[in-house]
Amino acid sequence: MAHVVLKDLVKTYGSFKAVNEVSLTVNDGEFVALVGPSGCGKTTTLNLVAGLTSVTSGDIFIGDRVVNDLDPKDRDIAMVFQNYALYPQKSVYMNLAFPLQMRKLPKDEIDRKVREAARVLDMTQLLERKPRELSGGQQQRVALGRALVRDPAVFLMDEPLSNLDAKLRVQMRSEIKRFHQDLKATIIYVTHDQLEAVTMADRMAVMNGGYLQQYDSPAQVFAHPANMFVASFVGSPAMSLIPLEASTANGGAVLTSAEGWSLALSPRNAQKVARATTRKVVLGARHSTIKLHKSAVAGAIPAKAYTVEPTGDVTFVQAFLSGAIVNISVSPNVAVAPDEQIWLEFDQERMHLFDSETEMALEAS
Amino acid sequence: MSTVSETIPRGRSARRVRIDGWRWGGRAFLVFMLLYTALPMIWMLLTSIKSGFAAMQFPPQWWPDQPTLASYQKLLDPQNSVGQDFLRFFWNSLIVSTATTILSVIVAVPAAYAFSRFTFPGRNFLFFAVLLRNMFPAVIFLVPLFILMRAIGLVNTHGSLVLTYLTFGLPLAIWLLKGFYDNIPVQLEQAARIDGATRFQAFVLIVMPLSAPGIIATAIYSFIGAWNEYIYAYTFLSKNEQLTLPVGIQRFFSENTTDFPGLMAASFMMSVPVVVLFLLLQRYFVRALTEGAVKH
Repeated sequence: MAHVVLKDLVKTYGSFKAVNEVSLTVNDGEFVALVGPSGCGKTTTLNLVAGLTSVTSGDIFIGDRVVNDLDPKDRDIAMVFQNYALYPQKSVYMNLAFPLQMRKLPKDEIDRKVREAARVLDMTQLLERKPRELSGGQQQRVALGRALVRDPAVFLMDEPLSNLDAKLRVQMRSEIKRFHQDLKATIIYVTHDQLEAVTMADRMAVMNGGYLQQYDSPAQVFAHPANMFVASFVGSPAMSLIPLEASTANGGAVLTSAEGWSLALSPRNAQKVARATTRKVVLGARHSTIKLHKSAVAGAIPAKAYTVEPTGDVTFVQAFLSGAIVNISVSPNVAVAPDEQIWLEFDQERMHLFDSETEMALEAS
Repeated sequence: MSTVSETIPRGRSARRVRIDGWRWGGRAFLVFMLLYTALPMIWMLLTSIKSGFAAMQFPPQWWPDQPTLASYQKLLDPQNSVGQDFLRFFWNSLIVSTATTILSVIVAVPAAYAFSRFTFPGRNFLFFAVLLRNMFPAVIFLVPLFILMRAIGLVNTHGSLVLTYLTFGLPLAIWLLKGFYDNIPVQLEQAARIDGATRFQAFVLIVMPLSAPGIIATAIYSFIGAWNEYIYAYTFLSKNEQLTLPVGIQRFFSENTTDFPGLMAASFMMSVPVVVLFLLLQRYFVRALTEGAVKH
């Protein structure tokens, strides 16, 4: 296993910058998820590491080697593709054996390794089948097997679960996580599904528009999103972002809505707002940090319930505040009807404030 | 019965009748087309086993009184001058067609792969240029190509024909194969390259076997085109010992009499290699032409 370092990595296609100055370090044995919406540059970044795309500028280190100009075959990596990319004309056995044959291993050693990988992944009885005779989950497993049969320095995974149905996806998610724990493998995992990143990765790199937005543990990214994009991308349902205007009233800082209501800020939050470049700030709040009241309470803001979505464990209520959609989760035994008058109370400790100009999170000094 | 028909809405049963009408019309059309193509061939076969006199009789003998293989024996007999000519023409055709086929596969496979996988300056222009030739009838190029061949000293050689057939056959071969390569996910090659293959190995070990039906179809197409071509062979070759079959068969027409059974036997034998090729490889051919129509 090895660590991977990306240094000021840039990839341009003509005038289009697919990857912009991305720098990050993946430690030996770490599971890192590259996550972002489609077109954010995460797959391009992975292809750069794999050597399937040439680097425009910057450096890629695998272990202590610069691999910029190495062929994929010389980088000591293995990759799992979204469509599995199993060789359709070869049996499962030959699919697993191919990387070993390419490295000219002796026949008996190939056989031993293939059977070992098949045993680990519980598909010994499938070895003679062709890929098209396998279910999606089995194909997925063969793709994984072909990656691990060779003991590479780094595993690259490009949305390996997105072609599976929902139930299988959850199952394979824990299998891959288990696989990582058992092998102590270095894994770079690309996904557009923030839930996969949050549940599986040691650290997640959130990308958008070719830029690395934030690189931290899922807990940190969740608790302290660096900017409005990360805040809205990570977490489901998304964090509510309410545009407001900062001002002072009665000696304290308040946020005022164009709708007329205002929200007094705690001293710490007032400090954050004071650092904004403009008076327009955005209030961010996750659904679980907003308290829903069915009668007027001091400090709570009046709103109208728009939709009510019971999911069993929790019920999600949507409301409009200052033109933004606000998600609130309530216990299922709280009955809320659409168009019912409700009052929303924000948690000062757990609310996020963003500069509407730079879209960056505001921090107290 | 009556209860069943009552439950079917009127409009629907009327529509069904119309569809049946179309279906029967279609079948009739297919039968007509089948007769249109098969009857001349059957007549060719029947004539080839008649005697010279029986072939000219009117009203014609539908089935010859005395079927004979004499024409075939004459054509395949190396002692006989007719047989010598026929076998030489056959051999010439085989050489020209095989050379064309091999060269066309050797050129079309990498060309199509490059068009499918790589972006390079002038790619679109080149790809269009490849098609440009096919927008003009082949005869337009007859005189210019003849002058060209004379200038480079290829008149009266089989090389001139191979070159010409390549210029005509390659565009479609490249198009056909490109469609094939477009359909092979690029991730397969990427996986192979990560698994330790060079780019070339990935192509040879993974992509080539998957594109075998396309390559076979291309080969059949080139072979048939070269095998049947007449006008260029007629123009470029004048020496008797070099003629290819389509031109050579003409020699059965002579000023005074035409040996119709001989002509028909020669025609029949000329169609044998094509038919055999087609029967052996037709499932690949059909697959190649329909591949890409459906995502799989």
